[in-house]
Amino acid sequence: MMMQYYEVCERELWFLSRNIEIDRENPAVVRGTHVDDETYEEKRRNFSIDGTISLDVLDDGQVLEVKPSSSLVEPAKLQLLYYLWYLDRVVGVEKSGVLAHPTERKRESVELTDENAARVEDAIRGVHEIVTRESPPPAEEKPFCESCAYYDFCWSC
Amino acid sequence: MDRNYHVFSDGRLERNNDTVRLVTEDGEKKYLPVENAEALFVHGQVDYNTRLMSFLDDHGVAMHVFGWGDYYSGSIMPKRGQTSGQTLVEQVRAYDDPERRLGLARKFVAGSIHNMRTNVKYYDNRGHDFASIVETLEDCRGNLDEADDVDEAMGVEATARRAYYSIFDAILPEGFVFGGRQYNPPNNEVNSLISFGNSLVYANVVSAIRATALDPAVSYLHEPGERRYSLALDIAELFKPLLTDRLIFRLVNRGQLSTDEFETELNSCLLTESGRKTFSKAFEETLEETVEHPNLKRKVSYQYLLRLEAYKLKKHLLTGENYEPFERWW
Ligand code: SF4
Repeated sequence: MMMQYYEVCERELWFLSRNIEIDRENPAVVRGTHVDDETYEEKRRNFSIDGTISLDVLDDGQVLEVKPSSSLVEPAKLQLLYYLWYLDRVVGVEKSGVLAHPTERKRESVELTDENAARVEDAIRGVHEIVTRESPPPAEEKPFCESCAYYDFCWSC
Repeated sequence: MDRNYHVFSDGRLERNNDTVRLVTEDGEKKYLPVENAEALFVHGQVDYNTRLMSFLDDHGVAMHVFGWGDYYSGSIMPKRGQTSGQTLVEQVRAYDDPERRLGLARKFVAGSIHNMRTNVKYYDNRGHDFASIVETLEDCRGNLDEADDVDEAMGVEATARRAYYSIFDAILPEGFVFGGRQYNPPNNEVNSLISFGNSLVYANVVSAIRATALDPAVSYLHEPGERRYSLALDIAELFKPLLTDRLIFRLVNRGQLSTDEFETELNSCLLTESGRKTFSKAFEETLEETVEHPNLKRKVSYQYLLRLEAYKLKKHLLTGENYEPFERWW
C-alpha cells in the first residue's frame, strides 16, 4: 500500500509507516479512505509473497489492481507497477497487469517498461526517504483530505 | 456526537437485551440507549454486575461514578483494544526529558491563563472593572516564561487562578459568597459548584483521552499518577473556565440555581439531587454548543474540542510537531 500513499499524501504515508492509530469512531474513518475492492466481482486469487506483498491474480495470469476512483488512478497504477516490478526483479517472474474500475467496464493494461521500472525505483527511494524522517512532511491541503482518516488528527493543530 | 447519560436515582443498573436498564428502588424502569453513548455518569447509589460491565465494555462506554465530597469518585473504563505501546513510549520520553516536560507544562498553564483572562475580559466589558485582574493575569503569563521547572509553572498557575477567582464574588449575586477555593469537601455553594463542574470536565476529558491510546496516567504539569488520571488533570485545566465557570455564572445569575439547591452538613456544602440535575443538564447543553473550527473548516462541539486536544497532544508526542494549547479564539 505504501506506493499508493506515496502518490496520494506523503504525510499520510509517514503516519501509516509509524502505525499511528486514529480514533475508530472518527466519522472520516467510517466514511473510509479507500473503496473496498471486494466489490469487484471477478475470478481472481489472492497471493501473498514473502509475507509482505499481497496481490490479486486473474485466471489469465494478469495482476489485477482496482482503482477506487478516477482521482486515484495514478496511485493505483504505481501500486500495480510496484507489484510487477517486485515479481520481475525479486521473484523473477514476468507478468503484465490490468487496472480496472468496479463500476466502469474499462480496463487499462499495464506493462513494466524500462520507463515504468525507473518510476518504481524512484518511488521506492522516495518512500524510504519519507518513512525514515524524524517527523512527517508538513500538512498540505489536498482534495482527499476531507475523506482521509487522519483529517482531524492532521488539522486539529 | 456521542452522548453522556446521567443517572441520579438509586437502584440497579443492568443489561437488558441490547440496552442498559435502570430499575429504581420503587420498581420504575428506565432505558438508556448506549449505542452511541460516550459515558454513563452515575450520581446515585447504584448496584451493577459483571454482565453490565462487559456489555459497557463491548460498546466502549465508560462509567464515571460521582459520590460525596469532591464529587468525582472514579471511572470504570472500557478496555478498548486500542492500546499503543509506541504512544506510551513517546509519552514517557517527553515526561523524562526535563526540557520537554517543562515545555508542555508551560503550555497547559499558558492556555489556562488565556482562558481565565477571556472570562475576566468578558465581565470587564459588562459593567465591572477588572482591569487590574487582567493585568495580573498578563503578568503571570509573562512570568511563566521564566519558570525554570514544573513546580514554578504550577506556582504561576496557582497565582493566576487566585487572582481569577477573586472576581467571582463581584460577579455572583447576593447569597452566593465564595471567598476563595476550598475543596474536599467544598465549604459553600460556590465551591460546591466549582467542584461539581470541574469534576464533570475532568470525567469528559478522561473519555476524550480514552479515544486516543494516550495513557491517562502519564502527565506533564501534574505529577503522573499523583491522583486520579493526571493527564486528564493537565488537559482539564484548559477547559474549566470555558465549561465550568461561565456556566456557574449563568445559572446562578439567572436564578436557575438558588441556595435552596444545596445541603449543608458539618463543614460541607453539597448540591442536592435536583441541583445536580439542573447543573448536569445545562452542562450537557454546553458540551453540545458548537463553534467554527479555523483549521477543520467545520463546526465542532465543545465536547469535541476535548477530543481534539487529546489528538493535538498525541500528534506532538508522535511527530515532534508543536503543541499549542486550547485557547478560546471566539
Ligand atoms: S488529512 Fe490531508 S494532509 Fe493530512 S494525512 Fe490526510 S491527506 Fe494527508
